[in-house]
Amino acid sequence: MASVEMVGISKAFGSSVALDAFSLSINSGELICLLGPSGCGKTTALRILAGFEKPDAGRVLIEGRDIADDPPERRRFGMVFQDYSLFPNMTARQNIEFGLKVQKKGPVERREVIDRMIEVTHLADHADKFPHQMSGGQRQRVALARAIATAPRVLLLDEPLSALDAQVREVLRDEIRRLQLEFGVTTLFVTHDQHESLAIADRVGVMSDGRLEQVATPRELYEQPANAFVAGFIGTVNRVTARAGHDGRWEVLNRFVVGSEPGTPGSVATVAVRPEHIALDRGDEGFHLVESTSFLGPMTRLIVSAEGSPPLIVDLPSVDAGDFHVGSPVQARLRDDVRQVTVIAVDAGSSGLER
Amino acid sequence: MSTESIVDLTLGPLKPAEMAPARARRWRTSGVVKAAFLIAMALYFAVPMLAMARFAFQNVPMALLSPEKFLTGWSLSGLWTAVTDPEILAATKTSALLVMFAIALNLALLLPLAIVTEVRSPSLRPILGAITLLPWVIPPIALVVGVAATFRATVPWFLASDFSLVPFYALWAMPFTYRALDAGLRAISARTLYEAARSMGASLATTIFRVIVPNITAAIVAAAALTAAMVLGEFAFASLLLKRTLPTEMVNYQRSDPRGGLALALLVMLLTALALGLVVRSLRRRGLDVQTTGL
Repeated sequence: MASVEMVGISKAFGSSVALDAFSLSINSGELICLLGPSGCGKTTALRILAGFEKPDAGRVLIEGRDIADDPPERRRFGMVFQDYSLFPNMTARQNIEFGLKVQKKGPVERREVIDRMIEVTHLADHADKFPHQMSGGQRQRVALARAIATAPRVLLLDEPLSALDAQVREVLRDEIRRLQLEFGVTTLFVTHDQHESLAIADRVGVMSDGRLEQVATPRELYEQPANAFVAGFIGTVNRVTARAGHDGRWEVLNRFVVGSEPGTPGSVATVAVRPEHIALDRGDEGFHLVESTSFLGPMTRLIVSAEGSPPLIVDLPSVDAGDFHVGSPVQARLRDDVRQVTVIAVDAGSSGLER
Repeated sequence: MSTESIVDLTLGPLKPAEMAPARARRWRTSGVVKAAFLIAMALYFAVPMLAMARFAFQNVPMALLSPEKFLTGWSLSGLWTAVTDPEILAATKTSALLVMFAIALNLALLLPLAIVTEVRSPSLRPILGAITLLPWVIPPIALVVGVAATFRATVPWFLASDFSLVPFYALWAMPFTYRALDAGLRAISARTLYEAARSMGASLATTIFRVIVPNITAAIVAAAALTAAMVLGEFAFASLLLKRTLPTEMVNYQRSDPRGGLALALLVMLLTALALGLVVRSLRRRGLDVQTTGL
């Protein structure tokens, strides 16, 4: 368990910049997800932390000590890879034992640790199987057990769930979180799956083009995205045109609300509105028209359109959505409990002063 | 194998049922063409060998051969004389030793090189691939003359020994062995295994000997087998350097006893093929995939 600090890390491969002045600090025992589209530099950040890549600039500190010159084998980090990377010639048990043998632990202690690992990862039935005899989920459990067995200072997970099918992915995701909390190990989890990161992380760092766009708790990230990229990348958003009122609040879908930045009276901006933040009122005089509905279980997603503006995506609790049919006229409004919206872009030509 | 299944195997995802009838017919026709081509190729190799076998084991001149004499005159005596010839036995021993030393030197050079390239700088792989092909670009005569000129002047005893062939053979086998090892390393994603082991604290040596090498046994054995087959068939170097290896001695022997010589050649060929086949089979039985070229 240790705190990690990456300060001003830059790294380029030839002419392509993978990381650009990247800084991130991870508190002891915290699970941070690096989230971003492929090629955004998140894996490079993890590999630099692991010691497999050397940064062009910047420092990596563990517990305040610079580890730039430590080779990977001296960093005492545990790693889990997307393609499992179990040693094919060893059984699950031997795989877990490998790191302990390298650490020169005695046979009694090794046995104890292995048995505990097999227990916490529910691998009792598979302990003596070889990797090729196990399913993907089982293999990744072994990889996880193998990484944690060495009592790493930091656990690095590089897209550990990407190769698994949806059901296994969700179960294993929760198991990773459970183990991480149980062992209290500082963890960096790299993924391109927003659901994964929102579900298990203490904080999520959203990356694009080698830069960190925002680091925040999943809730903050979802409710107060720092900019257009984060708003668009996390969840679904509608881009809605808003006009600033006299008190600097924005008029969004027939309601005045505080924006992430105040507006000059009369100016026009694009704001991000989540589909579940929109309510629909029925009425024959409705300005919008329901174009399509899709039932998603607890929620129902409706696409409503209005002349002169792009269609809106609206998520309603399914219990309330039964009344809305394709073709019925409705009125869309911002729900009363929405306290703030994120301003994505202020229309440059609209100072509003002339009005 | 039916024509249909040939079509299936070679054309991958396209299934006859999914194709328009005209296209399906065309594929089937091309399957027939392929089968015919395979048969022609098989005949091309089989006929000379059968003819060779007849000459070696049936002591009846071609001109006198007739249907009623077809079963007469067969004998293994020529072969027996050949395999018990003291010169041949000595050459066999030399060649066996050459095989072992060539394999050892070849692996000692290429195994660490292939592993380090794969796990540390995979971008260098194409360059290494090109370099390991060089022995085939330089003709043996150029290699031998160059080396001989250098060594005769500096260390004359080197070329006097039979084992001066070992470095030549180790180099000459590089194109095969590098590709076999490289394919083996890629098949196990050696790079992630290496990183997993290193992150757990293993030293480079531990990683190589406990993790990488045990998982590429199949590739190592394949590389060794290819080297062996190559050494047992190599003539140019041995002949140019005036060494008495099995191939050069077989040519000598054939001059005095053509039948026995050919019988011996057939036997060597058969044994080599058999040995290679057994190696591949035993590896397959252990669940190890054997890729010999990776091309």
